[in-house]
Amino acid sequence: MRYEYLTGNIAIAEASITAGLKFYAGYPITPTSDIFEYLAKELPKHGGHVIQFEDEIASINAVIGASWACAKSMTATSGPGFSLMLEALSLAVITETPLVVAYVMRTGPSTGVPTRSGQYDVLQSTYGFHGGLVIPVLAPSTPQEAYDLTIRAFNISEMLRTPVVLLSDAVIAHTYGKVAIRERSEVDLIDRTKPSVPPDAYKPYDPVNGLVPPMACFGEGYNVLVESLTHDERGYYAPRTDVQRRLMWRLYKKIVENSGKLFDYSSTYLDDCDYALVSYGSTALTANVAAKLLREKGYRACSVKLKTLFPVYEDGIVNLLRGVKKVFVVENNLGLYYRELRGVIRDKEVVSVPLIDLDVPLPQEVVEVIKEWL
Amino acid sequence: MRLEILIAGRGGQGILLLGHILGRAIAKHTNLHILGSEIYAAETRGGDSRVDLVVADREEDADFIKVMRADIALFMHQLQLDAYRDLVRDGAVVFLDKSNVSSVPQRNWRIYLEPYTDIAEKEIGTSRVANLVALGHIVKVTSIVPPGAIEDVIKEVVSKEWVDINIKAFRYFTQR
Repeated sequence: MRYEYLTGNIAIAEASITAGLKFYAGYPITPTSDIFEYLAKELPKHGGHVIQFEDEIASINAVIGASWACAKSMTATSGPGFSLMLEALSLAVITETPLVVAYVMRTGPSTGVPTRSGQYDVLQSTYGFHGGLVIPVLAPSTPQEAYDLTIRAFNISEMLRTPVVLLSDAVIAHTYGKVAIRERSEVDLIDRTKPSVPPDAYKPYDPVNGLVPPMACFGEGYNVLVESLTHDERGYYAPRTDVQRRLMWRLYKKIVENSGKLFDYSSTYLDDCDYALVSYGSTALTANVAAKLLREKGYRACSVKLKTLFPVYEDGIVNLLRGVKKVFVVENNLGLYYRELRGVIRDKEVVSVPLIDLDVPLPQEVVEVIKEWL
Repeated sequence: MRLEILIAGRGGQGILLLGHILGRAIAKHTNLHILGSEIYAAETRGGDSRVDLVVADREEDADFIKVMRADIALFMHQLQLDAYRDLVRDGAVVFLDKSNVSSVPQRNWRIYLEPYTDIAEKEIGTSRVANLVALGHIVKVTSIVPPGAIEDVIKEVVSKEWVDINIKAFRYFTQR
């Protein structure tokens, strides 16, 4: 392990190398491009490949292909690019392709303020693609978390055979911090489960006894079908209700039934708290300091930082906040994730604190808003 | 221990390099934790340049990326002193470049007023290293990081032909 002084973006790039990234494809976009530039320089030294494609659509499709060739694969983008990637993300979901998309949010809609920040795309990150399923979404708030959660994103993608979104933003992208960089031997890395049956008995979408099918790669002697149509366990097109039901429920359950395993958060003062400031990403820094300022003023406030945004671990969140009287959801948008939590927390008041700020919102502003509700 | 450090000046004065060298030295060569952010204008000369650092001995106290009540501040120009002085708390240690600051506010600060730009030009040979002269003064007075750590980082991040003169500038105060 060694300490470096890195931005959130470079921490993501370093972590992807630690996690064993072998293929990166992308198209430059502010405020994400330095992930790409850094990997273009560094990844080949670790036996990986970096390619710039003609756009984001080609990039993510190449990432899907590389993953089926057994290379841990990633792309990184921002709002306009992620919108272009959505169709292929749906392909990755139904073909159960492990991959990581680092999504560095910037001010939108459209080209908005490309160099500045916001959290407007938090719902798009999981609900944006067509097909009505859930993609796991992890949200760091510091360069160290960007490093740790990138490794976790790769592990989840391999464990559950799913695309995973690492949701950062322009503030974290350019925030510097002390980051503990680990050697590959110092972290727990998960690789996709390989088939344990001979090639003639292998079905690429048969979960055997669980929910996640073992995954053979191209070139390993197995017949591998990468099928975007509704398919049976062999990967054959099967336009039947019973097959569709079986597939949809399995794809849904393999993510949602692992909610507890995927859930990650941190908190301060939660064991002595009436008013919980729940937040994520760069705004979690604001909420954390705001909670401290409120405590200095005599209010029993605490902060809860959600590092896993999707799937929403409903029981876990309810249990976490069981002792508090009121929940404030602090975010740099019009109150989007608040809608998720409002649906989960029914036994107490949940208040949205929607902030719109091109930069990290200042804690004092949050304190002023929340004091009105105390 | 939790310290907020504000470094501000005009574009072209090497503010971002100074902030990066200091931040990197703290991150890599001390047990302290740090978060920091940079602001710079689109133009290469002129506009605002600012580095905010939050340094703490406990990880949970390095908790924000903007200075709200700076404990240590360096202003390399009058414009940024006027713009950001309300971000500096009473009792703070404040370094001012006398070469570019003419009006010092009446505040309860511990002020160090030295002509960093003139020193760099006359004693070191170029005004371009005024930032490292100032950094040397900060390190000498605050002892926030060992001088050797800064010199190691200079060798890592500054292009080869500029290493010696930057170290010379840094040593102007640290070796006095």
